[in-house]
Amino acid sequence: MSQGDSGTSESRTVGTTSQTISRRGYLAGAGAVGAAALAGCAGGEDDDTLTVGFALPYTGTYAMLGESITNGFELYIDEHDGEVNGREVEFVERDTEADTNRGVDVTRELLVEYQADAIVGPVSSAVAMAMIDTVQSEANSIWFNANAGDYRVTQDGCTPYHFRTSFNDWQTSAPLAEFVYDEVADNVCLAYADYAFGVNSKDFFAEEFEDLGGEVVDEVGAPLGTDDYSSYLGQIEDSGAEAVFSFFAGDDAVNYVNQFSDFGLDEEMTQTGSGFLLSGDTLPAQGDSALGMYSLLHYADTLDTDRNQTFYDAYADAYGEGPNVYACQGYDSAQAFAAAVEETGSSDADDLIPALEGLQIDSPRGPLAFNSETHDPVHNLYVREVVEGDDGPENEVIETFEDIEGPTWGCSL
Amino acid sequence: MQWFTDFFDRSHALETGSEILSSRGRLAVAIAVVLLAVVAPVINVFEPFWLNILVRMLIFALLALSLDFIFGYAGLLSFGHAAMFGAGGYAAALLMREYTQNLFVVLPASIVVGVIVAAIIGWLSVRAKGIYFAMLTLAFAQMFYVIAFTDLPATILDVDEVTGADDGLVGVAGFELFGEPIHQLAGLDHRLLYFYMTLALVVVSLAAIVRLANSPFGRVLQAIRENEERVEFIGYNVTRYKVIAFSISGGFAGLAGGLYVPFQSVAHPGLLHWEISGELIVMLLLGGLGTLWGPMLGAGLVVLVEDLLGGVASWEIILGGIFIVVVIFAPRGLAGILISIRNDPSQALTNARKTLRNYIEKVKG
Amino acid sequence: MLEVFIRSTFLGLQLGMTFALIAAGLTLIFGMMDVINFAHGALYMLGAYFGTVIAGTFGNYWLALLLAPLFVGLIGAAIEIFSLRPLYGRNPLYHILLTFGFAIAIQGAIVLIFGGQSRRIDVPTVLEGTIQVGPVTYPVYWLFVLIVSTVLIALIWIGIERSNLGILMRASAHDTEMVNALGIDVNKVFTGVFVFGAILAGIAGVLLGGSRSVHPGMGMGIIIEAFVIVVIGGLGSFRGAVYAALLVGLVTAYGSVIAPTLTELFLFAMMAIVLIIKPSGLFGATEAA
Repeated sequence: MSQGDSGTSESRTVGTTSQTISRRGYLAGAGAVGAAALAGCAGGEDDDTLTVGFALPYTGTYAMLGESITNGFELYIDEHDGEVNGREVEFVERDTEADTNRGVDVTRELLVEYQADAIVGPVSSAVAMAMIDTVQSEANSIWFNANAGDYRVTQDGCTPYHFRTSFNDWQTSAPLAEFVYDEVADNVCLAYADYAFGVNSKDFFAEEFEDLGGEVVDEVGAPLGTDDYSSYLGQIEDSGAEAVFSFFAGDDAVNYVNQFSDFGLDEEMTQTGSGFLLSGDTLPAQGDSALGMYSLLHYADTLDTDRNQTFYDAYADAYGEGPNVYACQGYDSAQAFAAAVEETGSSDADDLIPALEGLQIDSPRGPLAFNSETHDPVHNLYVREVVEGDDGPENEVIETFEDIEGPTWGCSL
Repeated sequence: MQWFTDFFDRSHALETGSEILSSRGRLAVAIAVVLLAVVAPVINVFEPFWLNILVRMLIFALLALSLDFIFGYAGLLSFGHAAMFGAGGYAAALLMREYTQNLFVVLPASIVVGVIVAAIIGWLSVRAKGIYFAMLTLAFAQMFYVIAFTDLPATILDVDEVTGADDGLVGVAGFELFGEPIHQLAGLDHRLLYFYMTLALVVVSLAAIVRLANSPFGRVLQAIRENEERVEFIGYNVTRYKVIAFSISGGFAGLAGGLYVPFQSVAHPGLLHWEISGELIVMLLLGGLGTLWGPMLGAGLVVLVEDLLGGVASWEIILGGIFIVVVIFAPRGLAGILISIRNDPSQALTNARKTLRNYIEKVKG
Repeated sequence: MLEVFIRSTFLGLQLGMTFALIAAGLTLIFGMMDVINFAHGALYMLGAYFGTVIAGTFGNYWLALLLAPLFVGLIGAAIEIFSLRPLYGRNPLYHILLTFGFAIAIQGAIVLIFGGQSRRIDVPTVLEGTIQVGPVTYPVYWLFVLIVSTVLIALIWIGIERSNLGILMRASAHDTEMVNALGIDVNKVFTGVFVFGAILAGIAGVLLGGSRSVHPGMGMGIIIEAFVIVVIGGLGSFRGAVYAALLVGLVTAYGSVIAPTLTELFLFAMMAIVLIIKPSGLFGATEAA
């Protein structure tokens, strides 16, 4: 399935690596309610194929993230001739629109209608929280959480089917405290998007930072979807802190970072934050405003390893642009799935779970394994600085924290 | 089948020709219901996911029905019906997570909460007319949305969570009776059970609203829609009638919320957002305002189309396009089209041509 | 703290004036044609997107500021002539559905063409950097937006109050048949007003596209805010819309300092109270335009 770099693609419904089912065929198969057509389109019933269901946003703000995760997953399968353990892999892509109720509908559809062997997604943590029950009650498939990082998916959900191939919000915030304290400043102002994920992130950072002896001088929460940060930036400036730790993502990150430098704050204080503040989906719109800012993430496309270079080239070859962290998360979901299926020769969740727990994955991000208590990832975290690259600003890795695990939040599988 | 149509019939002592749902219409509804009930187990075996879609179609049909009663029938355009829908849903979620999953406690509670919220909004709003009423209900519904989204109650009560803020409340499990999941009591698959339960409640609601519409109370509402001043002049308390009608409508919207949230296992602020209210109005107009059955059809259709087009990148363009075409060329909605075809099939083509000619003339000015 | 206050005042005024550009069209269109234009936010978004394309292609911000609103005006004309015009005289409700349809469809079209990613309009070098205003540092571009939108609003104000066109507009809203009888084509006046409103929304899109991210959800995001303004100011009143826009802008700006999460709630409460106590709006007398 060829994929342009625009947010949405033409034939984005059902694709297999070897053939693409036309949209009309799909609609007829999935949709003709009442006409009791008994077309056996449920892939899982057929023992020869493996069905992977994507529950991801393909429209709306997060469309690009959904595309990237899908591209990453499909790239790995394509690299292996569209097969895993000799079985053809079939993809079903369904749009969650990053909406909680759509997320539940889509998850159900993938599990019930398509009998997916594995489900990949979602992007938004609110959707992930809502999916937990459905995954547990509807079927018995592996859930590769390829982006939703809220720790409560582990704390409240704690389901054996859930494997996080992405990160959790502790990992992308707390470890940065050490770097900021040692290298940047011993006092910070926290600025965050005032919703669950933003609050979690700044709390995790603050806790760690204060443990190290640092001081949080002020904190400023802006409602999700704020367009103008002028007043908040005024308060940040007023705090007199030498550095800022932020959690913002998507459009909020673009607005915040751009206005941070529009108002000249970049000359007074050092901006740091979770990696989503400055990632592949925001950097092009942030441009030079982002230069000199530090962030923490489990991936950087500039990572200087052979593994990442191979991945980068293959991805760029296939899709005409370099990979981002989301693509890496999709790719690793495919790696984990393929390795477990190959090891066990089965696609049954009960067989796959122990196999996945013992897996060591050679990821473009570095070594990746799953914590057997929580199924959260164990991987490296990278401190990155935005520097001028050949094609505009890019993230350069300046420090690595190895094999970061984080708390288990009472989950003990 | 006779009992079924009788039930709708019995109430209207007033034999005017304008009653909602003719006996032929009632028969059609009865046949549709029986057909659905018979086909459901078959669907569950071969395409179980379709039952999920059907349940969602039914719940939104109920919601559309509740709005059509107040809007199509009584003439009050509520642009905030999401408030009652969401309130009923949150009530169900809170009860089921904290206290009881008993079906006979949760659903009535959802209805009551819907009625209360509607009574408050209605009492404050019904004096405003037309578009001002719409804007007021919109403002109130958005207030509810913001309150749920920021979890203001938790801040005020100083507890961890009440509405669960932007994540909403998850893990709202299924209904129970006597401490047992009801599908186990009934010996049915949970999906099938939920479908039957929803179908039954939607049918009962439709019957209740039809009876209400054809009752003397309903006649007064209709009269208010046609000429408010005159009804006032005759000596009716128009404001009270409107508030009561709005509250009744809110009860059914609350019920829809109470059915939807446990089915989805999650209550989140999106339920209260104006886009739900807006979409509802779209369902009504698409189906045919004031006919009760039309909006239900419209709701089912919108849910279905959204689901089918969900994976198509340009689904918003298609959906928006459908709205535009319907408004311009079929202002009486699906119901209008069906009625005119039934009344005079031979004229259908001529009518279509006339509509087109009319359109071109108007564009020319 | 003084700095924060001054900065918020600037932001409030700037928001107020740009909101006024958007609300002006909305309220004029309602005042004259009884149309609640749900697609108005989409027109604002189109202005911003056309702006990114023109500024990106020619590397010239000024060209974008000039041309993008005109393209939005063209689209507005098409919407008015081919879909609204055949519907005049029908229940205004149908206009809600119709324009709601356009809002959804336009947003879908933008996603299809540009994808969901954020973009930004590059501002010219003269407008980059910051300027010292009293004790606060303020971006030059934000000040530019404030000045341009204030001048525009002032010009429109004078135009509506003084010119023949303004009188004609007000007359058409007041008594369509009378104006028709005078031999003036009301249809043309309606189209003109709709296009005018669309152009203003387009200008606001380009102006704000230089300071905020441009994304497909921005239209739906601003439409409810614009309704709040139009209602508080009095449906159909231009003057009311300008006052209300300033009020909402300042409340938003100060609110973000005092109680960010409660600001939105406060605005809706304000809207509800105005509707209950004085449905004609806080500033709307009985004037039509």
